[in-house]
Amino acid sequence: MMNKFWFLTGSSLKKKLKSKWFLVVNILLCIVIMGVMNIDSIIKAFGGDFNQTNEILVLDQTDYADPIFEKNLDAYNTTLDMQYDLKVEKTDLSLEAAKEQIKDTDKVLVVLDSTEDEYLKASIISDSYIDTMYYQLLYQALSSTKAEIAFSLTNIDPTELQKVTSVVSVDRVFLNEDQTSEEENMGMIMGTVFPTVILPFFILVVFLIQMIGAEINEEKQTRSMEVIISNVSPKTHFFSKIVASNAFVLFQGFLLLLYASIALFLRNQLAVGTTSSITSEIGNIWNSLVTSGFASKLYYIIPLTLVLMILSFLTYSLVAGILASMTVSMEDYQQIQTPIMMICLLGYYLSIMAGMFEGSTLIRILSYVPFLSCLLSPALLVIGQIGILDVIVSIIILCIFNFVLIRYGLKIYKIGILNYSTDKMWRKIIKAAKSKEV
Amino acid sequence: MQGINRANHYVLGGLMLKVENVTKYYGKNCAVDHLSFTVKNGEIFGLLGSNGAGKTTTFRMIMGLLDSNSGQITLDGKKIDYSLTDQIGFVTEERSLLTKMTVQEQIIYYGRLKNMKEQDILDKLDFWLDKFDIRDYKNRKIKELSKGNQQKIQFIAAIINDPKLLILDEPFTGLDPINVNQLKEAIYALQKKGCSIIFSSHQMEHIEHFCEKLVILVKGKTVLSGNLKDIKENYQKKNIFIRGNIVPKDLEKIDGVLEVKENTGEYEVKIKDSSIVNQVFQKISSCAITKFVVEEPSLNEIFIAKVGESYDE
Repeated sequence: MMNKFWFLTGSSLKKKLKSKWFLVVNILLCIVIMGVMNIDSIIKAFGGDFNQTNEILVLDQTDYADPIFEKNLDAYNTTLDMQYDLKVEKTDLSLEAAKEQIKDTDKVLVVLDSTEDEYLKASIISDSYIDTMYYQLLYQALSSTKAEIAFSLTNIDPTELQKVTSVVSVDRVFLNEDQTSEEENMGMIMGTVFPTVILPFFILVVFLIQMIGAEINEEKQTRSMEVIISNVSPKTHFFSKIVASNAFVLFQGFLLLLYASIALFLRNQLAVGTTSSITSEIGNIWNSLVTSGFASKLYYIIPLTLVLMILSFLTYSLVAGILASMTVSMEDYQQIQTPIMMICLLGYYLSIMAGMFEGSTLIRILSYVPFLSCLLSPALLVIGQIGILDVIVSIIILCIFNFVLIRYGLKIYKIGILNYSTDKMWRKIIKAAKSKEV
Repeated sequence: MQGINRANHYVLGGLMLKVENVTKYYGKNCAVDHLSFTVKNGEIFGLLGSNGAGKTTTFRMIMGLLDSNSGQITLDGKKIDYSLTDQIGFVTEERSLLTKMTVQEQIIYYGRLKNMKEQDILDKLDFWLDKFDIRDYKNRKIKELSKGNQQKIQFIAAIINDPKLLILDEPFTGLDPINVNQLKEAIYALQKKGCSIIFSSHQMEHIEHFCEKLVILVKGKTVLSGNLKDIKENYQKKNIFIRGNIVPKDLEKIDGVLEVKENTGEYEVKIKDSSIVNQVFQKISSCAITKFVVEEPSLNEIFIAKVGESYDE
């Protein structure tokens, strides 16, 4: 029987790997991963006016504001890392003539003026809309110019004024060293757990559920199931599907890793001659991990996450197999598998939001729940919301859950795979689970 | 061929399949009710019944796909389990083929499930493809084949392992007369090698042609069983075929004549038993007769009569 088991497993795996669907999906995945990781290079490769000069025409009606404005504009452009290519030109034209000059161009006219009530009054005039960042740059430069003019005209020491007007400095201290801010939590989840665990796991679960459903339903629809089950036991057939589908998703996971590596390599090649390179980027990520204290936790986070992932794949595949056995077509299966996908989706969003709801009892409890634990536990572990013990509890619960699924699921599977009626399906499932035979 | 020769070791006449008092319920509905029969080596056994009679359920129980509620099924004295199914071939009522596979892939797939080696499967596949004149389809996908050719592939898949027991559930469905003959020849060849064959068919002429023994099921109950020859002999109603210048109304007046029908100049006289033959002959002896033949009823007539009787009860 073991020969038949390995033959069925191998056939199932080979069939999936040889299918056009697998090829198409992987080509698309490869393109998408490489595209996303090199999106900046792709955008630049298509060309465009990336080094456009932003011309500013300054009409200074104060006779003293322009040099200060130009100095501040240059300073903010550098310190805020906006990298606009600015060309500032002072004009002596009248306001109307200056407006006429910028008409139908991208030039911006900045009119500097002063009144009795205001040290500096300015107008920003352009032919059409300008982008928000550019406007912010001009606004910041104008504000600073006004302050500087005010200091010089009123003889107030800028340092003294700064002391008076500066905001209160609040030093926030957490007694718990692991405690981090919401922003840090979100950054940690989105920067580390999301791309390495949450997103790949979600994609692979979708593959897993679809693969099992498609195979079992094909065998049922073509009635070849009767011939297969007359030669191998339902138990052997069930486990061959489970092993094949899990082997498939692990291989698919390896392929995702490979595509990401190729994409990083490409990024490195494309970045030759620029300041950004793969080694510097990886170095930066590693430095941030070390600074946050996360790097020292990796030795237990990685193995625990891997164990959780493998056990969760097993859970999803067992449930998918059991449900597929009770359906007679892919349409029926698509309907019955929707709740599993919804649960997976819930885990997906909860894990992303885990950092926003620090200390949430509900999220913590949900992290023990099979189907969700693989998505939630690593996220909570990374931000220090749960510890190793909690993850071990999740693993134990998953093991027990999988055991129960196998014990009762096999009974359902045995009856389901040769059942071609969808009437009273849930009643049949419950009745089968209660039966004494395995 | 290698496969056929290997089957020669089967012992003809020994006890093979034994179905004893088997009952199967689906909920409260009794699908098979205390069914019993035996099939010996080299015997062809017919299972007859209208739709829902319990034929497919019986086959499924023999194959171990369903568990019976009571009774037992043994092959050479052993309860049928997965250690014995490698010796059984099964052609299901509906085509059980993975249509995206090629013919070769499909046969290898089913052959490997019978614990066969790939090379043995390929050798036998070539032999049977030649036998059925479909060698050109070896690398074609199943879904590209006609229904008849798909049926042949299903048959090859069932016999690729030289089974000791072959179960054929409506094997001639969708086949034209030429293909039916090819399949019949193959079945006879297997029988000669000692393979026990059970098959069901709606077409009575196939059962009549093939089977030495049969069971007729109605709603799971056995209404008739035994040797076909005995069944026919014991069935009292007979048919007389007469060709000549007779007056049908005279015959209808005879007590024991059930019906007189004319068909292209020939009269078919149905009588209640053989004692009426003499009375009929005497009645028409003065007429110009060119044909007077007394025949046993066809299996179809017996089947309709038995099934009808049972439904009437």
